[in-house]
Parts: sequence; structure tokens; C-alpha cells
Amino acid sequence: MTLQKDSERNETKHLHRFADFTEKRVLEIGCGEGRLTWQYAKETRVTFATDLDADALRVATIDRPADLESRVYFSLAKSEQLPFSKQTFDLAILAWSF
Amino acid sequence: MVHALDEIRRVLVPNGILIDLRPTLDRWLIEVASARETRETGRMLDFPLGLADDEAANQSMSDAKQKGWLTREQEEFFPFFYSWDSPSELEEWIATEWHEFTGLDDKTKQATRSIWASADADARVRVKVKMLITRWRVAAQNLKAVSQS
Repeated sequence: MTLQKDSERNETKHLHRFADFTEKRVLEIGCGEGRLTWQYAKETRVTFATDLDADALRVATIDRPADLESRVYFSLAKSEQLPFSKQTFDLAILAWSF
Repeated sequence: MVHALDEIRRVLVPNGILIDLRPTLDRWLIEVASARETRETGRMLDFPLGLADDEAANQSMSDAKQKGWLTREQEEFFPFFYSWDSPSELEEWIATEWHEFTGLDDKTKQATRSIWASADADARVRVKVKMLITRWRVAAQNLKAVSQS
């Protein structure tokens, strides 16, 4: 199957119009396989991306570009119980999967 | 979901930003699109479970706003296209991935197949998903709580 998602890149354009990622500490909730993560992570100081799907996180970790290995981390976590101290992040993305 | 928003608020710095990015059901448009032209073939069906999910999400954000946790700064809808090589691939995707919250009636399936069959060779079938993006700021109330702690 040759599924394409957002070939017009509308999501990326809107995401960057709504948030400045430069040197930010970012939390993404519901990252799945990292499709959205790769659209902004290069600009961040650090990105932690979480999901409940271990298989999707495995794919995201494998797909992670080498230059992001020290900047993007994936974690299996519930959004109701995030494994981070208070006030850790400047920006959070609630990416509702579907 | 309100618990999740409270947890997100906890890990955000005072004055931090939350971007809420999600699809919203609205009988998404189906199109056959080639380089030369785009033709509408019908709309998806919205199922009760999907509509209930949307309502629950909206209610959670509204509750967080009411509690003074978050302030809405900016909001927009935008189109997000899913596209496939053929109508059968679209139907397969809906049957396996989207069947709980959206569907296709027979009339729309037939129209999509028919229009695609007579379209240019580069024509793809696509669904125009309605996305909602909102920027929320952790409200000043949280700043007070932090300064008092």
C-alpha cells in the first residue's frame, strides 16, 4: 500500500506557525512512530517523546537520525503519569493519534 | 483526559506552551486528485464512537480552561490529506485502521471507484482530514502556585 500522509506539509507549516521550537525542551505525548517528531526535533534543545505503543516506539527509535541520537529520546509512558520532574519542559505537544 | 492535562501542566514551566493537535470528525471529503484536476467523490460517515471521542476531547480542554490551568491563545483548522494509489487501498485502510470511528457508504465507494477509473493515470484517492491545532499557555494561576511553594 502506498499511503502518503500530508504531502502538502500543512501540519508542519501550522506547527511551526503555532510554536517556536528553537532551543526548547519539548515533550511530545502520543508520538507513535515519530512522524511528527522528525518535523521539529532538530530545532529543539532536547525532545522527549512518549507513547503507549511499545512497537511504535521501537520503530521510532530505529528511524531516529544519527544526528538526533543525543537530542531525541523515546519513552513508554501514560499521559496521566509522566516520568518527569515538575517544570521540566518549555513546550508540550499533545498529538492525538488516529 | 483531564488528569493528563493536569500532569502536562505539572511538567511544563510556568508560562509554558501546550500545542493540542488532533483530527476532528466532520464527514471528511473524499477526492480523486491528479496533477490536472481534483474531483470530489463524496464524504465519509462519522460514527458515534468517533463523535464521542471528539466531544470528550473538547470537554477536557474546556474543563482545563475552566479550572484556570490553561489559556487559549490561538486556534485554527487545517486540511491534512491521506492519499492512496487506488480506491481499494482507501477501503482497506478504513476497514483496518479507521473502522471504529468513520466509514464509507456504498454509494460513495462506487462513485470513488468510477471517478478514479476515468481519471488521469497519476490520479490518487485522498481523504481531507480536518485537523484542529490550538496553542494553550499555562495560566498565570500556576505561576502563583509555584511562587507560593
